[in-house]
Amino acid sequence: MPVPYWLLSPSVIPLVVIVFIPMAFALYISLTGLNQNTIGDWTHAPFVGLKHYLDGLDPRGPLAPSFYTSIKASVVFSVMTTILILPIGVGAALLLSGQLRGRTFMRAVMLLPYIIPTFVNGILWRLVFMTNTGIADQIMGALHLGARDTFWLIGPRSLWALVLADVWASWPFIYLMALAALQTIPPDVHDAARIDGATPLRIFRLITLPLIAPTLGLGIALSTINHFNNFALPFVMFGPTPPDEVNVMPLNIYVNSFITFNLGLGAAMSVVALLIMLTPAVIYLRAARVGDTD
Amino acid sequence: MADIFQGKLTRRRFLEVAGMGAAATVAVPGFLDACAQSTTSSATGSPKPATLSLYVAKDTARPQAQAQLFAMIKAKFEQENPGSSFTYDTYASAAEETTKLETSAAAQEGPDIFEFGSTLVPTAYATGSFEVFTKDMWNHIGGKSIFFPPQLTMSGPSPDKLIAVPVSGNPWAMVHNKAMFQAAGINQVPTTWSDFIAAAKELTNGTDQWGTAMAPADGFDPWHKIWLFVTQLGGNLMDSTGKKGLLDSDASLEACAFWLDWMAKYKIAARQDATFKGADEVRAFATGKIGFSVMAGPGGIGTWDNSPVAGQYEYTLGPTIPYGMSSLPSGGKATQGFVSGQYYTLFKYSKNQELALNLLKVVVSPEIQYQYFNLRKQQPVVLETFTKYPELKQGNWAALYDAALKAYPTPFFPAWGPLEVELGKAINKIAGQIGISGSYTMSDLKAALTQVNQELQASLGA
Repeated sequence: MPVPYWLLSPSVIPLVVIVFIPMAFALYISLTGLNQNTIGDWTHAPFVGLKHYLDGLDPRGPLAPSFYTSIKASVVFSVMTTILILPIGVGAALLLSGQLRGRTFMRAVMLLPYIIPTFVNGILWRLVFMTNTGIADQIMGALHLGARDTFWLIGPRSLWALVLADVWASWPFIYLMALAALQTIPPDVHDAARIDGATPLRIFRLITLPLIAPTLGLGIALSTINHFNNFALPFVMFGPTPPDEVNVMPLNIYVNSFITFNLGLGAAMSVVALLIMLTPAVIYLRAARVGDTD
Repeated sequence: MADIFQGKLTRRRFLEVAGMGAAATVAVPGFLDACAQSTTSSATGSPKPATLSLYVAKDTARPQAQAQLFAMIKAKFEQENPGSSFTYDTYASAAEETTKLETSAAAQEGPDIFEFGSTLVPTAYATGSFEVFTKDMWNHIGGKSIFFPPQLTMSGPSPDKLIAVPVSGNPWAMVHNKAMFQAAGINQVPTTWSDFIAAAKELTNGTDQWGTAMAPADGFDPWHKIWLFVTQLGGNLMDSTGKKGLLDSDASLEACAFWLDWMAKYKIAARQDATFKGADEVRAFATGKIGFSVMAGPGGIGTWDNSPVAGQYEYTLGPTIPYGMSSLPSGGKATQGFVSGQYYTLFKYSKNQELALNLLKVVVSPEIQYQYFNLRKQQPVVLETFTKYPELKQGNWAALYDAALKAYPTPFFPAWGPLEVELGKAINKIAGQIGISGSYTMSDLKAALTQVNQELQASLGA
């Protein structure tokens, strides 16, 4: 009996249209010199082969400094943010998973940073970090932790400004994942451990954490990918000419594609970003053994 | 078609069906589009009534005035073109402007009329998506001769290849605070950059009052200033072919160093300015914290007339002699700024081009042009407006008019956009260094300019 492949079509066709065709298209554009001169007739953009990849990835290439700076900025930013939001999100979830007065209200309040549109968040944090007049400098000055004219939006501190802003906006994601996982743990397990005399820390380390680990793993992988792909926040906070420390890949891709009209280069950078982003995804899939049949 | 789904579906058959689907996806919109390319004129020769769509820059400083102006334009247009009207959508940033341009050019579908700033017109021209105005088209809206001549220099690469109709001007001049001048005993506006630095030092107390401000974090301000200084020095930011960046040339290095030294060496601008954008400089002038604002357009007037400096500021022509010199060097131009303003272009794929020309005719009528000045504080671009409304050449507007006459066009290269961004990156980097440490070295500046010039070159060679 022939295999009825057509039964796959409801999932294969959307997958092809939504994922594979745009990916193939991006790959094709990355091999062309598509720019302002050719966009009106983009199907005839000159084929330049691997030029954009070599310009960016070859250490002697003219775009290598900018390319590697962006890769480093994106990796550092996404890893730092994920590391910081993990304990905050899990801590908040543990706090609100138990019986607590006003728990429903608190659960709603915890989601507020996540609900605020990213561009509003960006403007808000830009104001917070304005030199001299921003709240950050005012607080640091009042507490004698630093000068009132500390620069947050330029230089090395700009990375911290971006990380802090993104931590504030994104920790509820881990909180939600952790809370959902905590609610699947039967209360009997914790009750039994308590009867056996286990301390709260021991219960968390040996029972709670292993049980929520798979969900947290997914949360970490998705969070890393989300931070890596965050465009709006750095764009609003720093604009199209950001300091090197926060010149993340999405921003660099956007500037190349939509401001300097070098769409071929922008597409090549997107392909490289995609390959980098496969790393946490593959690590998670292997760790979670997704696809294994036993 | 039905038999496609009958019988055994093999992998090969599946690919055939999917291929036909994909071909139909590509072909059908094109076919429908071709069908839609019908005549747009009625039998009488006047354009068929329709609703035009415009994509214009948002007046973020005076959105209500912009709405009021468009209401006036609409009333006049609807009166002259019964049954027709227009709608408009706005963009608030250069990023939105370029994104819309790209997507419309690639899809060959978009608004009937696009508004562009002068330096984006070359990019728009390069896309080949906008109508080159014929003599008949110019005559339809009143002829080329009705316009302030410098504005047409940014309408196209040559007089016979113009794609953009000027609608408003944005001349650059210098503005100073008269009260601060008086308090510091300065009674003459500087005409050389050496005098400017000396005067600005007199106005600076180093804490809450500064000679001037700068906005190196702005998307535009860095290249505005560097272009001015380089042009006065007799240099260029790009060679005459438009294929070679000159961001690391000696003139460029000197120009960048002079501007950055306002913070680092002469200390006439605060180090906090390292994070300033254009709006921050306008605000600093409005609050009386700075004495000069260099290369200021008329855009600040609305803010300053409603601030503590109302009645205390004056536009004049800015210095033209480079720092340390007593006259212009060889090749140097006594410019006040580049030809700047807003332009309307006709999208090539518009189905209502004749009607769109009727709308352009309304926009460049002296009455509507006057409202650009009256409501939006922008300089009109139609000559008759200046003779009909004398206030356009009085007071501060007299200096702005003179400055417009002394403006030079930027080269009509599509790669000017990338140049702006690359130069901004280098300036931003060194300004950040000055903000944090108070100083920079020429080798750092040279390295930054060499790096961005390499990036520009890679983009030009693409």
